[in-house]
Amino acid sequence: MTQKTWNQAEVGDALGPIAFPLSVYRLIVAAAANRDFNAIHHNSEYAKSTGAPEMYANGMFLQGMWERTLREYMGLAGTLRRIAGFRMNSFNCVGETVVVKGEVVRKWQDGETGLLEVKMWSENGDRITVGPGLVTLTLPMDAAIDA
Amino acid sequence: MSETSDDWKAAWRPVINQIGADLVDGATFFGIDRAEPGAIRRYLEPLEFECALHTDAETARAYGFADVTAPYTAISTWAAAPVWEPGEQMFTSAERNALPARLSVKPAMPPGGPPVSNYFATDSEVEYLRPVLAGERLGRRGNRLIGCSPKETRVGRGAFLSYEWDVVTEAGEVVARQRATMFWY
Repeated sequence: MTQKTWNQAEVGDALGPIAFPLSVYRLIVAAAANRDFNAIHHNSEYAKSTGAPEMYANGMFLQGMWERTLREYMGLAGTLRRIAGFRMNSFNCVGETVVVKGEVVRKWQDGETGLLEVKMWSENGDRITVGPGLVTLTLPMDAAIDA
Repeated sequence: MSETSDDWKAAWRPVINQIGADLVDGATFFGIDRAEPGAIRRYLEPLEFECALHTDAETARAYGFADVTAPYTAISTWAAAPVWEPGEQMFTSAERNALPARLSVKPAMPPGGPPVSNYFATDSEVEYLRPVLAGERLGRRGNRLIGCSPKETRVGRGAFLSYEWDVVTEAGEVVARQRATMFWY
C-alpha cells in the first residue's frame, strides 16, 4: 500500500472508484462479520415483508466500503478523525453493485497535524445511495516519512 | 370521521417530548466479545479490505500500535450484544422467517409512541478519538434521544429517531462519539 503524505495530497484528488457487487453470499458474510443480524440484510422474504424491494446491505458494511476506499488513498500512516453525513438515501440491494468514490475538498494544518476533508459517496446505477458525506482524516507530513 | 393528513403524527408526540432524555440513564452496555484478531480479520473479508494494520501485529507495531488495530468502522461490532447466552432459548420456531426471541441488534424505542414493528438505519456520524486495539472490549455509554421527526416514506408512516452515545473501553476511555438515525415504522 502506497503511503500518501499531506504534502503530496491536493484538493481535487480522486478516491476510488471501488466496486462492491452485492450477492446473497457476500451479504451473509458481511452480516456474520459485523454482527448486524437484522433479517432485512440477509433474508429476501423478510426484507420484502418490511416494504424493501430485496435484502440490502447493512450500514456497517457500507461504512466499511468507505473506510477501505479511504485507506487505499491514505496508506497505513493515515488516520480517520470523523465521518459525517453518512446518509443512506436508498437501499443497496442484492443483485446490485455499489461503487464508492471520493474527492479531497479541503486541506489544512492544525499545528503539526496535516488534515484533509474528503467528500465521499456511494453510487448504485445512476443513483447516489449513500452520502455525499464528509470525512476528516490525517496524513503524515513529508518530514515524518523522511525521518 | 376520516383521519386528517397529520393526525397520525400526533401519536409521536410522547416520543418527541422525550428529546434530550438519556433512554438508559447513562448506563454502559458492553459487547459480549473483545475485538479479537480473528473477528477483526473476518470483518475485512466481505470488504476485501487489505490493510496490514488489521492483520499483522509487526506492521501495526511499526506504526506505533501495541497490537493489530480494528477498522474504525467496526466499533459497533465490538459493542454488539450476543445473539444467545447460556440459559436462554432463542430459536423456538422452524418457520422460515422466524426471528430469535430476543434481537441482538434492535435499537431502543422510547416508550409511549405508536406501535411499530420495523426499523432501518438512515444516518450515521462518528468522531473517532483513536483506533481500537485487538483485545479491547467496548461498550456503548448512554443513549440520548436527540431527534424525532414523523414522516411518511415509501415503506410507510413512521418517524426518524436520532440517538447519540459514546463508545468506551472497560477503563471508561471514550474512543468514539457516535450519532445515528433510525426510521421506525
